[in-house]
Amino acid sequence: MSLVQNFPFFSIFLCIFGGVVTSVLNKKAARRVTLCISAIVFLMSATVWHYTLSATGSYSFMMGHFPAPFGNEIRIGRLEAVMATLFSFIMFMTLLSGLFNLDNHAQPQKQNLFFVMVDLSLAALLVMLYTNDLFTAYVFIEIMTIASCALIMVRQNGHTLVSATRYMIMNLLASGITLLGISMLYGITGHLLMPQLKQAVSVIHQRGLYSVPLTVVVLLLTVGLSIKSALFPFHSWAPDAYGNAPPVSAAILSGLVSKGYIFLLIKIFYRVIGMDVVRSQHILEVLFVFGIAGMLIGSVSAVRQRDIRRMVAYSSVAQIGYVFMGIGMGTAAGTAAALFHMVAHAAAKPVLFISSAALTDASGDHKRFHFLHGAGYRCKAAGVSFSITAMSMVGIPLTAGFISKVRLSLAGMVLPDAYRFAVLFTLAISTLLNAVYFLHTVVSVYRKASPEAQQAVPCPLHPMTLQSKVSLVILALLTLILGVLSGPVMQSIFAGLRSFS
Amino acid sequence: MNGFLMVVALVLPVLAGLMVGFVPQIGLHRKTRSIFVGAALALQCLIVVLIALGGEKTVVILHLSENLPIALRSDTLGVIFSLIMTAMWTASAFFAFSYMTHEKNEKTYYAFFMMTLGVLMALCFAATLVTMYLFFEAVTLLSLELVLHERTKESIAASIKYLIYSVAGATMGLLGIFFLVPNTTSSYFVLGGSLNVEALTVAPSALLGVLFLTIVGFSTKAGMFPMHGWLPTAHPVAPSPASAVLSGVITKAGVICVIRVIYYSVGVEFLRGTWVQMALLTLATVTVFMGSMMALNESLLKKRLAFSSVSQVSYILCGLFLFDRTALTGALLHVIFHALIKDGLFLFAGAVIFKTGYTYVDQLKGLGRKMPVVFLCFTILSLGLIGIPPTGGFISKWYIAEGAIAGLSHFPVPVFTWLVPAILLISALLTAGYLLPVSITGFFSQPDEEASQAKLNEVCEPCRLMTVPLIILTLAVVFLGVFPNLMIDIFDSLAALLV
Amino acid sequence: MLIFAVLFPMAAGALFPLFRFKEDKSRGLYVMAVVLITSAVALPQIILGTAAREILFQITETLPIAFRLDGVGRIFAGIVAVLWPLSSLYALEYMQHEKNLDAFFSFYTICFGVTLGIACASNLMTLYLFYELMTLITLPLVMHGGSQRSVRAGLKYLYYSIGGAALAFIGLVYVIYYGGTTEFAYGGVSVFTAGQTEHNMRIGYLICFFGFGVKAAVFPLHDWLPDASVAPTPVTALLHAVAVVKSGVFAIIRITWFTFAPALLAGTFAQYIPLALCVFTIVYGCTMALKEQNLKRRLAYSTVSNLSYILFGALLMTSQGLRGGLMHMVYHAVMKITLFLCAGVYLQKGVEYVQDMRGLHRAMPVATAVFALGSLAMTGIPPLLGFGSKWALAEAAVFEGGLLPVAGIVALVISATLTAFYLIIPSVSTYVSRGVKAYAPGELSSGWKALSPLLIISLVMMFFSFWPMLLTDFITYAAAGGL
Repeated sequence: MSLVQNFPFFSIFLCIFGGVVTSVLNKKAARRVTLCISAIVFLMSATVWHYTLSATGSYSFMMGHFPAPFGNEIRIGRLEAVMATLFSFIMFMTLLSGLFNLDNHAQPQKQNLFFVMVDLSLAALLVMLYTNDLFTAYVFIEIMTIASCALIMVRQNGHTLVSATRYMIMNLLASGITLLGISMLYGITGHLLMPQLKQAVSVIHQRGLYSVPLTVVVLLLTVGLSIKSALFPFHSWAPDAYGNAPPVSAAILSGLVSKGYIFLLIKIFYRVIGMDVVRSQHILEVLFVFGIAGMLIGSVSAVRQRDIRRMVAYSSVAQIGYVFMGIGMGTAAGTAAALFHMVAHAAAKPVLFISSAALTDASGDHKRFHFLHGAGYRCKAAGVSFSITAMSMVGIPLTAGFISKVRLSLAGMVLPDAYRFAVLFTLAISTLLNAVYFLHTVVSVYRKASPEAQQAVPCPLHPMTLQSKVSLVILALLTLILGVLSGPVMQSIFAGLRSFS
Repeated sequence: MNGFLMVVALVLPVLAGLMVGFVPQIGLHRKTRSIFVGAALALQCLIVVLIALGGEKTVVILHLSENLPIALRSDTLGVIFSLIMTAMWTASAFFAFSYMTHEKNEKTYYAFFMMTLGVLMALCFAATLVTMYLFFEAVTLLSLELVLHERTKESIAASIKYLIYSVAGATMGLLGIFFLVPNTTSSYFVLGGSLNVEALTVAPSALLGVLFLTIVGFSTKAGMFPMHGWLPTAHPVAPSPASAVLSGVITKAGVICVIRVIYYSVGVEFLRGTWVQMALLTLATVTVFMGSMMALNESLLKKRLAFSSVSQVSYILCGLFLFDRTALTGALLHVIFHALIKDGLFLFAGAVIFKTGYTYVDQLKGLGRKMPVVFLCFTILSLGLIGIPPTGGFISKWYIAEGAIAGLSHFPVPVFTWLVPAILLISALLTAGYLLPVSITGFFSQPDEEASQAKLNEVCEPCRLMTVPLIILTLAVVFLGVFPNLMIDIFDSLAALLV
Repeated sequence: MLIFAVLFPMAAGALFPLFRFKEDKSRGLYVMAVVLITSAVALPQIILGTAAREILFQITETLPIAFRLDGVGRIFAGIVAVLWPLSSLYALEYMQHEKNLDAFFSFYTICFGVTLGIACASNLMTLYLFYELMTLITLPLVMHGGSQRSVRAGLKYLYYSIGGAALAFIGLVYVIYYGGTTEFAYGGVSVFTAGQTEHNMRIGYLICFFGFGVKAAVFPLHDWLPDASVAPTPVTALLHAVAVVKSGVFAIIRITWFTFAPALLAGTFAQYIPLALCVFTIVYGCTMALKEQNLKRRLAYSTVSNLSYILFGALLMTSQGLRGGLMHMVYHAVMKITLFLCAGVYLQKGVEYVQDMRGLHRAMPVATAVFALGSLAMTGIPPLLGFGSKWALAEAAVFEGGLLPVAGIVALVISATLTAFYLIIPSVSTYVSRGVKAYAPGELSSGWKALSPLLIISLVMMFFSFWPMLLTDFITYAAAGGL
């Protein structure tokens, strides 16, 4: 086994270790350590991706030597590697750009706890990507939930506490449902490691035994993970949570954390239940319909928002709908498109949250649109980044969002007529709605404010540092790069999917 | 050589008009201007006569596209119309030299007056449908100023009405041209028409509908019901010499277009006996009757004459729609006679207005004794219009009636056979009813009030510039009425070729 | 070199903010230099016709961004390359007293490159990319005034355009899925004319037509255009009479003739529905223009009507029809830009409504004369420009026969009549000064930079009225598929 193959395990371990260490450091050191860790994780993941490009198939890695069925195993293929690379890069950039106003939101003595939670989130994310057994998956689901909640709660005002509590309740409920599903599955099959589970499930399915429990298992697992990823109709916690959290937390949560859950769900479909069994349960049609509903309702709600952060939050709900629509198609092309959209959204959403925070800071900390007139001139980097990622949400060519649209549409074309038109027209309506709220915001941001309003704007308490500005713009450029150079990523996704089960 | 002469006939008046408009030395001094215009018109008459004598020549001015030439040809019909138009124009111009001294803005009047003549010439000589349409539109646009001249609210409203009707009519005509050009074997006018009946690109019934619209469209200029509404408003509101040419000449522009469409493009056989012919005849006959009735009711002199034009020009159209050789000859004769007569009648009205300012018929009491020459001319011209031998109007109406009886004998709807001649006859009576009272009032009545009587005493005969054109016109009507044979021969041989 | 022609003005425009011009003069020189260089580079290629295809980069394997000039592209590019310098000159004078001129001219110049990008697009993907870019770049131009009205008009334009682009995107997906390539080929991509997928392709075309039909102002998607006339006149003149709306029409010509084949569409609902809408729009636009008292809005509705003339020609599915449509595309661009430039001159001196135009002749002799000429041309009075294209369209329709083509001819005729009413009557009224205070001669004349483009375009119009063969020969050649 080459050294590189150990890197995934090292990454996970490093994050956990870093989390432990940071708990005793002060604010500045904690920050530095976390940044270092995410940078190192990125580099290691990139190396692993490079490795998997030449290797065939995926390889498994046992962490600890507990024999089946209790062992912890991770499996690394091209798909996991590319997702890990991109996500860790995004995490790194998000931290670099989003931390400038952390002092607004968190007290200095509590900030090291924030970084602990960031490390744990990153660890959990990596585990979701790599895990090959349900036990580890569940443990880190829980870790992720708690860490996310803490990330929200770092800000100690009333709204935030309410939102965090709500988040907590919904997520714990979801975790419970997931646990129920896992235990039932263990009950039926007697396994926790994914390869063995799949074999057992296919045997069960072929023999027609336990058909009802199997359905219930699929249902529970799907519902549990869907709640956590804010799929319609389980999304009600998301706008509050994202809207009231510190911007960098919202960025991490909506950009990365939710993707981890979705990826886990895909993994369960492919590697645990098996796609043919999943199809026979007709759960995919339901996901398809919910995905479409989420796209439309998320955007419609976003249009009605008066507050830029909540608008961005509802946009997340809509974008998650895109992903589930892709998964719900049930084809490899559809799932690949959904995976690409996960990446595209992960690249764009943090930028949207952080730049909108910077714009509101530069407008006297008002979130309402009227006060944002002219903010684009007061904070140029944030304005430009917001505009670029807004274009991606709308799906202008040359951005990642356009590639997503193309992939999703092409995947939809093979479906029967009703589904095909559902996909195409929902994408069209969604594009228009996105334009209505995002591009309208861009227009507002660049409108010249009246001179009196200009005078009244106070200087921001914590203006963006040069470092933040540069990182934000680089992250925004990632959207453009993905839009123009999507080839390698898509190739890895397609190839990875083929060897995913 | 003569081909080029036609271009000169177009360009000379236009150029003259532009010079009057833009060269201050010519435009603003009355005497210089009158001499200049008079000379130009004299030259124009000469040119037109030369063209007439020179035989049939063709000239292409330019190509709008490969198969759309703008071309002129001096064929018989074109020569006939150009001669009468130029003659009337000259008469009106000489009258105007005196009349317009009471008006403002004479420069613009003469400028557009001349330019309109130029494009009218080109319209007469047009050798293809598109050429005809081009100059037809040009006539509308350039003659707008004649209606608009007074710049009063009424004249502005009248000119807008004129424009709207004319443009609507012209585009209806254009519709037909769109359909005719691909469906005729020759893009040039051919005696008897050149419709490619075997290989039509649209259904014949559709083509019939289109042709109906086309002819009604071009008849707008001629004032046929239902497109007559502009005429009684526009003609009276213009200065009298302008009214004269509007009624006498420009209505004939519509007539020549109708002739070109029916006789030189489509050919009568396609339309004979169809609903189109019936509808057109109905419309024309209705107009004849309606025009006369409205004239009878009208007390404003110029408006009465305008309604009379509506009626009389539809006589001509009636003759055209009968598709009969004799009727066609009659129609062409009436073109000449109506032009002469109506010109004269309007010049009379102009003389009265110039001298007394009176515009209503009942104000003319006793005026005949003070302006005997003018009123005498009026009387003779009226007799011509009514159709009393030996004046010209009798011959033309006789031919039309004869053609009606002959041409309608095989008509599918029998009622037309006797209705059309009957209407023509009744209308003649009505014409007497609205024209003769003017003379009678003028010669035999006494003004009621003292004031009018006093004013009457001051009136005298207008100057020679006004009376001479009027006398010439009257003499022409009588002369041509007594010696019509040359004209009849020419028209008849042309009609033979066309039907 | 095509890539240069497209990218140079975009780059030069984007660099505008760096310069921070203090004087109008230096800004003007920069703008004119950029525009003239671009035209100078583009025009030889347009006139001589280099058919080489240049690839800029690949978005994915099947979606390259590439440029090529074929006959039809050369026509559109020619219109743009000739009219942009004139319009820029006019804009420099017109916008003299406005604010934010750096931003304005920055977007104005970028737009030049974007429009050329649409004209030179070698495939549907490239066209779609530049089409979306055009919406985004013209948005600040429309909203330049900064008033509530401008912003609302701009947002309306944005939403309509993005919605249209979303539908056009569906068409793009159909093309990629069924054809594998988005390259334009005269007569349509051959694989579409064969096979059982014909019905699906027709549906795809119809959706695509409605998508691009927004910018082409087909009823009922036209509503943004009259509101957009609130933009400064150089914007309305060029963008909404020439660049933006012609891009919509051009895109529809591309999808009808170069992607989804006429052979596939002719005689089916995929032809009849768009054709019927176009015939309706021809009359609708003119009727609304007649009701409209604001001059620029009146001209905007006139554009709505005239664009459907072009589409009517292209949708007849014969190369004669396409020829008529292309002729009208060129002629209308010239005539409409003249009228808008005159309207701008009037607006600058406070004449915004038709009833205020009375008697204006004495105060603005040149502008009113040019306006009258443009009105006559637009109505289609021979031998002026508009007649030639109307004739070509009618000729093509008569040859086709059939209910919709004949209905189209009637619509053309009605429209011509109405055009006379809403254009010629105001033109004549400028010469009649009854009831209005008399102006001093030349009292409201504009400077040379505004008037010279007017005169130049008028001369061009007169020249081509009498010698149209230079243009029409090439257009016939291009309509038959020539390069």
